[in-house]
Amino acid sequence: MTTIVEAVNLKKTYMLGKVPVNALQGVNLKVEGGDFLAILGPSGSGKSTLLNLVGVLDKPTEGKMLIEGVDVSTLNDNQLTDLRRRIGFVFQFFNLIPRFTARENVELSMSIADISRNERRKRAEDLLETVGLKERMNHKPIELSGGEQQRVAISRALANNPRFLLMDEPTGNIDSKTANEIIGLVKKLNEEKGVTIIMVTHDQRLAQVTKRIVQMSDGVIIKEVVN
Amino acid sequence: MKTRDVFHYSFSAIRLRKLRAGLTILGVVIGIAAIVALLSISQGLQSAITAQLEKGFATDTLLVTAGRGFGMGGAVGGTGSSFRLLVNDAQNISGMENVDTAIAIIQKTGYVKFGEKAVVSTIVGVDFAKYKNIYSSTFVAENGSIPLNPENSSIVVGKQVIDSWKNETLIPNVNDSIEIIWTNATARPLTNVTSTSNIAAALKEIGTFGIGGPSDSGVYIPLSQAQTLFGTDECNMIIVKLKSSDKAVIDSVSTAIKNAFSGEASVTSSTAVLNILSSVFSTIELFLAGIAAISLLVAGIGIMNIMIVSLMERTREIGILKALGMKGRTVLLVFLCESVIIGLVGALIGIVSGWGLANLVAIVLGGGGPVRDNAGFGGMTITPMLTPTVFVGALVFGLGVSVVFALYPAWRASKLKPVEALRYE
Repeated sequence: MTTIVEAVNLKKTYMLGKVPVNALQGVNLKVEGGDFLAILGPSGSGKSTLLNLVGVLDKPTEGKMLIEGVDVSTLNDNQLTDLRRRIGFVFQFFNLIPRFTARENVELSMSIADISRNERRKRAEDLLETVGLKERMNHKPIELSGGEQQRVAISRALANNPRFLLMDEPTGNIDSKTANEIIGLVKKLNEEKGVTIIMVTHDQRLAQVTKRIVQMSDGVIIKEVVN
Repeated sequence: MKTRDVFHYSFSAIRLRKLRAGLTILGVVIGIAAIVALLSISQGLQSAITAQLEKGFATDTLLVTAGRGFGMGGAVGGTGSSFRLLVNDAQNISGMENVDTAIAIIQKTGYVKFGEKAVVSTIVGVDFAKYKNIYSSTFVAENGSIPLNPENSSIVVGKQVIDSWKNETLIPNVNDSIEIIWTNATARPLTNVTSTSNIAAALKEIGTFGIGGPSDSGVYIPLSQAQTLFGTDECNMIIVKLKSSDKAVIDSVSTAIKNAFSGEASVTSSTAVLNILSSVFSTIELFLAGIAAISLLVAGIGIMNIMIVSLMERTREIGILKALGMKGRTVLLVFLCESVIIGLVGALIGIVSGWGLANLVAIVLGGGGPVRDNAGFGGMTITPMLTPTVFVGALVFGLGVSVVFALYPAWRASKLKPVEALRYE
C-alpha cells in the first residue's frame, strides 16, 4: 500500500485575537491508499485544524505535511492549488454555490480543472446518478434538503478523481435518517470504489463504519483504534 | 479555468444582483454618454464652422485692412488712426511678388427697396470678374449670370435678398430693378443717396460665415459705381489672392504688405484664422471632455465600492473556489471580468445614448441631426459627429475605468487565504 498522507510532528499555532492557540501540538499520522479514517474528539481538540492541513488549505507552524511523499511547505501557491484539485473536500455546511444548480455545482470543480464542457457535463450527471440525485440535478441548493445538498457536495468532491476525500463532519448538519443515507454512501464509496477517506466527525455511528478511528484531545492523538 | 468559463461565472454573479449591477452600469452610462454627447456636438460644430469658413474664405487669400490690430473683415479695422486704405492700393499690392490678384472692396450698410418694402443689406462695391476669380466656389450665380464687364446699373444679390424666409421679404427676381439706398451720415443734413439698379444675377446660397467673401445678405455693385454712390476712394479691405497657399508665401507677402503700409495696415490670413479657431476648439473640447471624465471617475469609484461590497459578501464563495483548486490569478480574473462586463455594457449603452443626446441637442438648437433644414443655429446646421476616435476612445476609457477601479478589490479577493475565507460568516 502506498502512503498517501503523512504528518510528521505537526504543530499549528494561530492567533485568536491576541491569544495564541496551540491547536496542534505534535501530531504524527499516516494514511494509506484505500484507508477509511475517522478522527474523533471534543470541540477544540484540533480535528478541523488537522483536516485543513491535510487538505493544504493551511500551512503548519512546525513539522512536515507530506502528500504522496511531497513536502507541502516546498510548494508555491500555484502548486498548492494544483494539489487541491486532487483532494476532494466535503464541508459540514455543504458550501455549495447558491446560484448554481446541483449539476452546475459539480461541474464547477471540473471547469476550474480545465475539463471540457461536454466531458464535465456527462461526468456530473454520472456522479449525481451515483449518489441518487439524477432526478434533482437541475435544482438549486435552496430547493434541496440537507441530505441532498450533502450528496451534491460529495459528488463535487469526487468530480476530479481525487486521491483522497476529506470530510468535515459530513453528517453534522443533517437529521439522523438522512445521515444514515450519507453514512451508507460514504461506506459504499470506500468499499466499492476504493476511495481513501479521512473524516472528522462527532457521529459515533459514522465512526463505527470506518476502518480506523483516531481519537484526539488538546492537539494530540491520544488513541488509535482499528475496527 | 477557460476564458469562456470565467466569463460565464462572472456573468452569473452579475445576474444575481441585477439592481446593483444596473445602477453601477448606469453610472458608467452617464459618464460615457456625457463624453460622447459633448465631443460629438463640439466636433460637429467645429466642422460646420470650419466648412463655412473655408467656403467663404479661401486658404490662398489674405485680407488687408486699415489698422494695426487683428482685423477680421472691415468691421474691426481702421481704429483711431488717420490711415486710410484706398482703392488704388490694390494695384500696388497686385504688383508684389507671389501675388496673383488684389482687389479693393468698398462696403457700406444700406437698404435695398423693392416696391414698398425695404431690407437692411450690406452693399459691396467690387470688381465682379476678379471677385469671381478669387471666390470661384461661392460667387456663383443661381439665376441669371454675373456680368464680367458690368454696366454701372448691374448688380448681383445674395440669396437672402431675393429669397428670404423672414417676414420682410422682398421678392424681386433677376432682371427686376430695385433701389439701393445709402444714408450719408457725414453729410449735413443727412442725405439719402439712391441708385436704381438692375439685378443681373442672384447668388446660390452660401451660409453666413463668409469673412471677406460673398455672403447671402450682400448686394454687389461694380466698384466704380460704389465709388460714385458713396463718394469715396477709401476701401474697407483689400483681398489678396496669392499664387500659392504655402505658409512661407503667406508669411512673406504678409510682411511685405505690412512694410508697404508702414505697419498701418493689418494683414489677416485665412489659414491663421482657421488655425486659431481650431486650437480654440481643441481647448474647448478638452475642457468638455475633462468635465465628462469627472463623471466617469465618479462612476469608477462606484464600481470600486460595489466590487468591495461584493468581495465582502462573497468571501466564503471565494474560499470555496480556492478549496476547489481555483488559482489566485483566476479569482482575480473572475472579479475583473465582472467589472469588464459592467464597463463594456455601460460604455456601449453610453455611446448610443450620448449619440442620441447629441442629436437631440442639435435638433433643439435648430436644424441639426438627421432632420436637416435651413433654419439652423444662426443659419448654420450642426450635425453631431461621432468619429471613430470618439467611439473607440469612449469604449476604451469606459473599459479602462472599470478595470482600473476593480483592480484593488480583485487583487484583495485573489489574496484571500482559503481557510480564513471559508470561516468567514
